[in-house]
Amino acid sequence: MTERNRGPHVLVRSPGPAAGTVAGRRDGLNGRRRRSVTGSPWTPYFFLAPAALYLVVFQLVPLLQEVWLSFTRTTLLNPTFSAWVGTANFQSIFANPAFRQTLLTTLVYVLACVVGSVGLGLGVALLLNGRFPGRPVARSLVTIPWAAPGIAVALIAVWMFNPQYGILTRLLRAVGIDPGASGVLDNPQLALGAILVTTIWQLVPFVAVVLLSALQAVPQELVEAAQVDGAGRWTIFRVVTWQVLKPTIGLVAVLMTIWSLRRFELIWLMTRGGPIGSTRTLVIDLYAQAFESKQLGTAAAIGMVGIVISLIVIVGSQLVARAAAKEA
Amino acid sequence: MPASPSYRVRALSVLALFSVGAGSLAGCSSSPSGSTGDASAKPEAATITIAASTLGDPGRGPALQKLIDEYNASQDLVKVEPASVPYPTFGQTILTQMGGGEGPDLVRFDMPEFEAAASSGLLEPLENKIDAKKLNLIPGPDKYLTVDGHRYGVVFEDSNYGMYFNKDLVPTAPTTFDEFLKAAKDATKGDAFGLAFRQTQAEEAGVWQDIFNYVLGFGGNWSDGTKLTINSPKVVEGLKAYQQLYDANVIPKGADAATFRKMFTDGKIGMELNNGGYVSHVASTNPNLNFSVARIPFPVKKQGALLAPIVTNVNSKHKDADLDFINWLLQPAQQVKLQEVLGASSVATPTERSAASLQKFPFLPALDELTDTGVPQIVEGFGQYTPDIRHVVVTEVLAALQGQQDMNAAMEKAQKQAEDLVGK
Amino acid sequence: MRSARLGVTARLIAVLVVLGLAIFPIYWMFVTALTPDENLFGATADLLPDLSRLGVFANALADGKVGRWLLNSFVIAAGTTALSIGLGIPLGYAMSRFTFRGKAAVGLTLLFTQMLPEALLVVPLFAVFRRFDLLNSLHGLILADTAFTLPVVALILKGAIDGVPRDLDEAARVDGGRPLTVLTRIILPLIAPATAAAAVIAFFSAWNEYVFAVTFVFDKSLQPASVGVASFIGEQDTSIQSIMAVALLFTLPAVAFYLFAQRYVVSGMTAGAVKG
Repeated sequence: MTERNRGPHVLVRSPGPAAGTVAGRRDGLNGRRRRSVTGSPWTPYFFLAPAALYLVVFQLVPLLQEVWLSFTRTTLLNPTFSAWVGTANFQSIFANPAFRQTLLTTLVYVLACVVGSVGLGLGVALLLNGRFPGRPVARSLVTIPWAAPGIAVALIAVWMFNPQYGILTRLLRAVGIDPGASGVLDNPQLALGAILVTTIWQLVPFVAVVLLSALQAVPQELVEAAQVDGAGRWTIFRVVTWQVLKPTIGLVAVLMTIWSLRRFELIWLMTRGGPIGSTRTLVIDLYAQAFESKQLGTAAAIGMVGIVISLIVIVGSQLVARAAAKEA
Repeated sequence: MPASPSYRVRALSVLALFSVGAGSLAGCSSSPSGSTGDASAKPEAATITIAASTLGDPGRGPALQKLIDEYNASQDLVKVEPASVPYPTFGQTILTQMGGGEGPDLVRFDMPEFEAAASSGLLEPLENKIDAKKLNLIPGPDKYLTVDGHRYGVVFEDSNYGMYFNKDLVPTAPTTFDEFLKAAKDATKGDAFGLAFRQTQAEEAGVWQDIFNYVLGFGGNWSDGTKLTINSPKVVEGLKAYQQLYDANVIPKGADAATFRKMFTDGKIGMELNNGGYVSHVASTNPNLNFSVARIPFPVKKQGALLAPIVTNVNSKHKDADLDFINWLLQPAQQVKLQEVLGASSVATPTERSAASLQKFPFLPALDELTDTGVPQIVEGFGQYTPDIRHVVVTEVLAALQGQQDMNAAMEKAQKQAEDLVGK
Repeated sequence: MRSARLGVTARLIAVLVVLGLAIFPIYWMFVTALTPDENLFGATADLLPDLSRLGVFANALADGKVGRWLLNSFVIAAGTTALSIGLGIPLGYAMSRFTFRGKAAVGLTLLFTQMLPEALLVVPLFAVFRRFDLLNSLHGLILADTAFTLPVVALILKGAIDGVPRDLDEAARVDGGRPLTVLTRIILPLIAPATAAAAVIAFFSAWNEYVFAVTFVFDKSLQPASVGVASFIGEQDTSIQSIMAVALLFTLPAVAFYLFAQRYVVSGMTAGAVKG
């Protein structure tokens, strides 16, 4: 069942550019059988059609409208009337220095989310992978932050960071860190950090669960053999464990990137992008443009920028994965 | 890519999809229907919805619901039900729904959203259906509800801003700004703060309401009716007073209104500038709080007014029913009840305070007198741009509070950005 | 063994610290909900819950409003989960087992749609929903939420099906099974863990969803809990205790659902949850 272990890497890459290699190899190996199993050439479309139709109506059509809107001036109050303005929306957002700040904030936020959640998630996974009493209970409880709804998390986070009475503010002051009179969330130097702590708190369990399951694929015989040879813990991790986890970690990182680019409720409810724009990510900017300034055209243009960034991340990560696969 | 799609086919299908989408958008177009209603005629049987952020207040919400229930019980043709719109996204949600051709039948809007909706043709014109004279509507606030020659609503609530003070912390009401500042400083001790106001980006609309009092109180205004005057010396002076209080460390910085209002009822805040609607909240949350309300002690006797009209959605399918409810609400008996629900606010028509409420809140006449000097929180002459100007101004003011820029420079920037906005 | 070297005690302490960090905010919701007004703004915080005030939760549930919200949320989340899985299985099967024209495009679309923020699509989706008379209904919200969960679910399931050896399909085929039979008889039982993992992701996403729920539903009786919780934030007044009590009531079913599903989930993650 080697195929099963390989499942994750094969799977994740297949939808993208790497799909060619994977599908090609399969065709070579199984071409004859496939024709016999698949029956009529229409069979795949039979399985595909319901979901495809669904996504076309509920995702693709609205998305294409957004593409069009990004070249128009359209207001939320009258979305049926659009004036074509060419690339004016794109020009105006890129001419605005605040938008460059938004891009930078988004970059910092996404990078920190990915590094923080994957790093800590790996640590927690390794910790929970060992033997200790009560392991099943610990594995269950540690996932709670992931299950908690974003709105509930934002509400408790705001209260815990309350500048006068929040338990975290009290704790910070007790250990000698003064977040300023207006507290963490209204401090331009600290607000993004507070949102990051909250986000990472929520993401770590997810990463840990995924990596924990990937850890089950680490061949114990190899670990034991290395121990017999006198290899240190770090060496074993580097040579055995890391090699098994690497592809999964790559995938989790892509997933965390996309989810973090999209994250809305948590930031909106905690700071609305303030103070002075220090937590304004692309999605917050998009929402504010569409629903506060009521400029659907500008919001759509911001959305397009976000989509292009996501595409770059995905394609880039697949190129890296491909190069790594070639090396190996 | 392994697949070799036919680009022509793909392009065609994309076009086809796109036209489907465009069609569905076009299907939403909302055209104002002709006004053919007679206020006295009986409406058709219908269930209509009303959206009002008041309904979400733990204190006033249930009382308002009771009044609506009375209407429902008073006749058996029309049933009014509350719509589901939470306060944090109230304006965004309703305007999205209305722009999309739907939305609640009746809406209680704040002025900035009212202006935006009215100028975009989202509200039903009522000039042929509401007789202001016959109904005895108070003319002062009522005049703001006519936009481009059409009446788009009637006053639901008109609430003056006064200075709420906790008499245990601030024994006598300050009468000048210097006294105000001193009282705030004196009351800030132990775990109590002398003053509280909104000062975070998360409460943009609230900050706007709060700075309005400072700007007006120092003789400024955002416009002279035809030209924006955001950078005028008087506006800047008022905002500098606001900043002076912020810098004096007399407020719970970073606290949102939900928290500091709870602190006020808990006896931990000396003073707060707020509208009359706050009276019922304070009284119901803590009946024992020793508080009073006085005129805001700024140099110029002018202050903000929270003017909130009730309007009919142009998309409503039961406009006769909507109007029936509005007319019912404007009857003297209901106006008195509505005023009791809303606290110290005024309503559409002149009402007498009941002896019981006067005894409970002896300061009510003083608040009512402020109606003459109350100014709705819009930018005069630029009503429909108010939400956008508000965003620009509040953003720059908060950057000044954070020490990023001086208030003069902040308002110069705001003036320029706002001019760009309205110039378009 | 590494664990032996590290020492069970040290590991246990580390685990307790991690669990403490994970659970504390939820515990703090509980404590805050039970804190009386006069202690909320004290010089020091009460670290322990005042259990004599547990009535707060009973009060929150008393008028049936919160129960109604939770029920609506459950219907939306369960419906979204069922629909996502129902559409995702055949899609994942097609993507895994067949080559066909446009396959790469479908794969890219699946990844692509995961990047779209809800806020971007609210306005055009509103128009689509209005046209198909889907506004103001729970099934409408199910359809909206599924659009955002289906791509993830399909990718997870495709990964899981990739992991099922083709020899099994072939064997069934030799016995006369058609592709649909192969899917239902052979593949589905084998990918149950991944299906559970996908179900959990879909469920959480619909359980939490706010933007569509607040815009597409007008009737109070159809409000889900995400909107209900937000409605506790008032213009003049927000009761911190009530909102924490309701937020906790909103959190617990999701946690319970996860704990119920997790025995399948953890093994399912290896099979493909990663690809979400």
